[in-house]
Amino acid sequence: MKLRRNSNFLIEPASAATGDIAFNLIVFFLVCASTQPDTGRKQIIPRSESQAKQTEQTQNLEVALDRTGVTVNTEKIPLADFPSRIKRKLQGKSRPEDRIVVVKSGKDVPYHHWIAITGAIEEAGGIITLQLEDERQVQVQ
Amino acid sequence: MKIPRKKFRAEVPSVAMGDIAFNLLIFFVILARAQDDSHLKWQPASTPTVEAVKNVGVSVVIDIDSKLYLNGREIGESELASAIEKLLENVPAGRRTVLLKVDRNVTALRFEPVIEAVSKAGGDLVHILEEKSTPNAQK
Repeated sequence: MKLRRNSNFLIEPASAATGDIAFNLIVFFLVCASTQPDTGRKQIIPRSESQAKQTEQTQNLEVALDRTGVTVNTEKIPLADFPSRIKRKLQGKSRPEDRIVVVKSGKDVPYHHWIAITGAIEEAGGIITLQLEDERQVQVQ
Repeated sequence: MKIPRKKFRAEVPSVAMGDIAFNLLIFFVILARAQDDSHLKWQPASTPTVEAVKNVGVSVVIDIDSKLYLNGREIGESELASAIEKLLENVPAGRRTVLLKVDRNVTALRFEPVIEAVSKAGGDLVHILEEKSTPNAQK
């Protein structure tokens, strides 16, 4: 005589709980998503320079950017040498007005290139001043 | 003789509570997403050192197609300064952070006027960047 096995061992969770499970899952993923921190670099832009001050700044360091290169006071510099060169140029300048670096960018300068150069200037202790197309200057500390 | 009235009790079935909560949550998530910029496509530039930045109320994005967005909504360059000014109206100094998220390949012609607009509005600019993993890793 064969004995039949009882195969009803499957235990199903109550279907009423699926809503709650979904709810908790969503809350979990929302919390995960919202706590992703942003990382970056601060740049305080206090004011736009007046026309009168612009004329005073002719003796400041001038950094001109093109699509892939960089020029410091009309001298073309290899990108790899730029951080050390700018550090050397700013060495010994303690007054903030002496550490102003005027950054002129060509229209086609990509953001990643601009960020790399301005980052190097800031690291060397320079105070960035943007010279825009319409000749207005924005000082960046 | 007083005949007692039959009481009709109307109850929301507790089984449906999970579904109600679920739908409410979806509703609020969609509402929040309208002000969010996580759906925008942009690739951050990299830098050797970065610092953690608190998520704040104002974020400006220039996406992969050089389109400009303020808090997830497309905006014109000329309206940006006044719109940021309005958002920062009652925010005290020191807490006027504006996150700038610019795609790495966007050109100066597009991003410099945006930096100027943030400056004009009196915002404290924070460039959102990623940490460079190896030196000379930039494309």
